[in-house]
Amino acid sequence: MAQHGGPQQRIFSPLRTALHRFAFILLIFSAFGLMLLGKADTVLIERIRAASADLVSPVMNIVSRPAASINEITDKIYNLAHLYEENERLRVENQQLLAWQQAARNLSHENARLRDLAHYTAPPVLHLVTSRVIADMGGAYAHSVMISAGSRDGVSKGQAVISDEGLVGRVAEAGYQASRVLLITDINSRVPVVVENSRDRAFLSGDNTNRPLLTFLTADAAVAPGDRILTSGHGGAFPPGIPIGVVSSVSENAVRVAPLFRRHQLEYLRVADYGLQGILSDQRIRQSQAPVNTNDTLLSPDIPTGVGVVPSGPADEELHAKPQKPIGELP
Amino acid sequence: MKPGVWQRLDVIARGLLPAFSVFVLLLINLLPISIPLLSTASPALALMAVFYWAVNRPDLLTATTAFFLGLLQDLLMGLPLGVSSLVLLLVQTGSASQGRFFHNKPFSVMWWGFALVAIPALLVQWLLSSALIGAFLPIKATVISYILTAVLFPIVAWGLARAQNSLLRYV
Repeated sequence: MAQHGGPQQRIFSPLRTALHRFAFILLIFSAFGLMLLGKADTVLIERIRAASADLVSPVMNIVSRPAASINEITDKIYNLAHLYEENERLRVENQQLLAWQQAARNLSHENARLRDLAHYTAPPVLHLVTSRVIADMGGAYAHSVMISAGSRDGVSKGQAVISDEGLVGRVAEAGYQASRVLLITDINSRVPVVVENSRDRAFLSGDNTNRPLLTFLTADAAVAPGDRILTSGHGGAFPPGIPIGVVSSVSENAVRVAPLFRRHQLEYLRVADYGLQGILSDQRIRQSQAPVNTNDTLLSPDIPTGVGVVPSGPADEELHAKPQKPIGELP
Repeated sequence: MKPGVWQRLDVIARGLLPAFSVFVLLLINLLPISIPLLSTASPALALMAVFYWAVNRPDLLTATTAFFLGLLQDLLMGLPLGVSSLVLLLVQTGSASQGRFFHNKPFSVMWWGFALVAIPALLVQWLLSSALIGAFLPIKATVISYILTAVLFPIVAWGLARAQNSLLRYV
């Protein structure tokens, strides 16, 4: 700004300083007000977050493409350098996989026949939406990524997000054309899991490190490094049986899991719509809070517990009938 | 001679450059880059830009602007609301009041100044985020983030200085 002088300056200068000081104090208070508002975790905040994701997604969609192609080039150089070892490794792996393929074929035939015999009800069909990672909110405070699919593509809050390797996280907020995915390593993430061999149940709790913790494990649980961890499907939030990671270390007070996905190489992700609304749906939360007869709530009694069991009951059928309806428009 | 409409629009557009540059740096922070280190701890690019403009042109990047840019950062990155607003607001106000100290000094002085300012800024961010989440966040990631922020400051400052010299000389 140009330099002012003269009598005007003498009158307005103290006034302006006072106004600035007042504005500063007001802004400090509004920052703390925002913290309280965010802590209350209202639907409003969630909508604003989703809207802000929508706001930047067209730009990020374009800008992330050159970044992806640069990544491809560095990948290619790396691959060229390791061509020989990679080939040897793949040869060995292929031999093992062929043996597994034979086993899997035998088992799937046997499984099909047993299902016929037992009149087994098939689990609901998985509806997948594939989308690109357009932003990585890398940082010391939050672990999440933004994907280029939103409510327009059928993505809604709470759905499981899967990469080629296994579970990555869940949809935290779904905007119209972009959504934020909370990774399983984030400190706010809790996933009901099961240890593949021992079938011990636990929670996978993120703590903002690359190795989330297994919590609520029973004292007699048999867990050893190298055990695979799968989603258990409890609570209806995730489909059961999605691989998550491998137990990396077991100590006195902590069991840590190495996730299967490599965060810096996430490029395409699939959002799994299992037909279940999950424990995170706003409708369920609202109904659980409403002061109605406890028999009417959709919580505990109707939560599917078995593998592939579809929740039954009239209220749940209503949920299935309107899967596409946006959050918040329900009565 | 009174400036015409276009001239005035031009001045306003140029005046928005500092805020816009912080926004662009926020988006750069969001880019998915396949470097393992950057996905666990990223440099606080917005903090650098807010410090730079607060020292050099506090009239164009006011406390209110810093507050709203912080809010945008919290919304986009999924951080607890209000924390970045408070941090950027404090950095803007603190640096703007000390801005005179850095004028006509070599760049290394400003670099040291930023390295000093960034310590409490990131510490406050870490403490408040931990308090709001209800668990201590790993301090290691914050330390890595601080080192990246302090080391990369000259690059960002150089870019911002180029923009300032070419677009804001007469504004």
